[in-house]
Amino acid sequence: MITNLVVFAFIIGLLTGAVVAGAKAWARALGLRMSWWKWLLSGLWYFLLLFLLFAAFTFMGEGEVAAGWKVLGIAVLILVILGAGLARILLAGRTPPET
Amino acid sequence: MKKKSENEENSWSRREFFKIGGSVAAGLQMGAVAGSGLAAGKDPSTHNGWQHLGDNTQFVDRSRMIRQGPAYEIVGEPLRPEMHESAFGRQSLIMRDMRQYREMIRSFDAGEERQEGMGNRNALPRGETSPETTGGQQPGKDETGFPPMDTFSEPMLSWYKNRPDLYELDKYRVEEILPKKREDEEKYGDYYTLINAWSDSWSTHESISEPPEISDFKIGGRSKLKDPMPFKSRVHAAQLIKKVAHHFGATMVGITTIEPDWCYNYKLRGSEERGSYEVPKHWKYVIAFGVPHQWEQVNSNPNSGTSFDAYSRVSIAARRLETFIKSLGYPARRHSPMDGYDLIAVPYLVKAGLGEQGRHGIAITPETGSNFRAAFVTTSLEMEIDQPIDFGVKEFCEHCQICADICPSGSISKADSNEGMNTRGYRHWEINQTSCYNFWMQSMGGMGCRLCLIACPYSRKSNWLHSLARKVDSKDPTGLVDNGLTYMQKNLFVAPEAHEYLPPPDGHFANFREPPEWLQVKNYLDIETTDPSIGD
Repeated sequence: MITNLVVFAFIIGLLTGAVVAGAKAWARALGLRMSWWKWLLSGLWYFLLLFLLFAAFTFMGEGEVAAGWKVLGIAVLILVILGAGLARILLAGRTPPET
Repeated sequence: MKKKSENEENSWSRREFFKIGGSVAAGLQMGAVAGSGLAAGKDPSTHNGWQHLGDNTQFVDRSRMIRQGPAYEIVGEPLRPEMHESAFGRQSLIMRDMRQYREMIRSFDAGEERQEGMGNRNALPRGETSPETTGGQQPGKDETGFPPMDTFSEPMLSWYKNRPDLYELDKYRVEEILPKKREDEEKYGDYYTLINAWSDSWSTHESISEPPEISDFKIGGRSKLKDPMPFKSRVHAAQLIKKVAHHFGATMVGITTIEPDWCYNYKLRGSEERGSYEVPKHWKYVIAFGVPHQWEQVNSNPNSGTSFDAYSRVSIAARRLETFIKSLGYPARRHSPMDGYDLIAVPYLVKAGLGEQGRHGIAITPETGSNFRAAFVTTSLEMEIDQPIDFGVKEFCEHCQICADICPSGSISKADSNEGMNTRGYRHWEINQTSCYNFWMQSMGGMGCRLCLIACPYSRKSNWLHSLARKVDSKDPTGLVDNGLTYMQKNLFVAPEAHEYLPPPDGHFANFREPPEWLQVKNYLDIETTDPSIGD
């Protein structure tokens, strides 16, 4: 069990590193002028996505499938609304994309 | 110029790599999170139920290991095993013949006429059932001297003649090993006090057929306990008792003092007299402990569940704990579902800090919510006591009412609070026990209901999600989390309405959740059944 957890944490850590590197590359490609608080907001949005995904599938795993789907539906709604707001903030004042 | 262009190209390709790699990693991460969420939800170790490990206890796939042919190669005439072949089984026969041999010697010494044979030599010793149960019988202190081989009766005589090596080994045990062991026990026995008490706990159980002043002081057929073993302190005593109680099968343990108001007022078990009685003076402390029900079946209440799985387990734990305490020289009496109670359960669970009393009248614990059954041991052993706890149940129950809404018999109060309620002088939530009991009689499956046990939000699994909710709720003084969780509980989770649990035509014997597949007749038995959910 502990071994599984360690392996899982290792894989998630690697993926997180890759996601961060990818996010930086995307920000540069889209010409976003990122500051520390924009990164923080983006990170929180992504954390919320993972959290709600984890919660929804935990419900499904414990046999509360209907609760899982409901949480997933609510999650999509919340994430789309917050994502739209976040996108407006990130896209505001962007420079021409680098090619 | 060319170099710059190459750099740009490299830079572009590196960025593309990170963009694509990052996107793939994000997708993989979401997949991993969803998958681990699914695993966290399924994880049987988070079930608030007794030792539910799913299929994990027998985790090796034996189908890959199957070999052809019989289990053993036959190399001679197959024979059924005789009792005297086993060293354990032989022991009772040896003792029978040893006693008869000594009786014969005594008769000779007294000048009595020698009897033909030595009594009923074919009779098996009393209490003998199988080799395994007779192995513990050993000659007493005065029973030395192993009889000569030819004085043994059948089947031992023939056996020893064929196996003189075993005769010598048995003789050596009786004449050399056992006297030495008695000396060792005299000298070193105290060093093994706890191990012996532990062993007694698993092997010795007294029936409660006498009043406390007798039965609480008896162990293993002895009418008197040995002198009490002094503990280093009350804290040490409490620590040890809790540790062993967990090993004996208790999931939660707390200790408190006796409260005469919470002892029944009509009869003590084992006593002939009926009516009020004085609480025995040696009942100074109450060890309270609980065991949850098996997870899947408690979820399939009221019509496909039972009380007896947890009843049985907690009662066995109580027997073991009672014996352990007695083995250390202290009087003790168990109070459990299978052996009966002389006291009422819930107040002692609350006083011993195991939980708080909920709207449904039963205790709610932080570990398994309402899903557990309790037993107690009363004793004179001085122990450090626990204090009542507050983890927000009072406030939560005032907001929640899920148990009251789902109760098929409407026995649980829907009042805003328990103010004004008075049960034998104490304020706490009270239920209509008679209408509750009437529904027990209506329900199918194992008698009873237990729906409120499992509908209680505190009884949800101990996975990260519900544990987090419980933890946050207990820290919130505003009641906002209470309301939020109750709202989610009522709107996220699907359960039948109260009337659906009733018999047809008002309901269809619904269950809170589907029974596990191994409790469904259609999966295993070849019999005709009528599904109450389909109707006439």
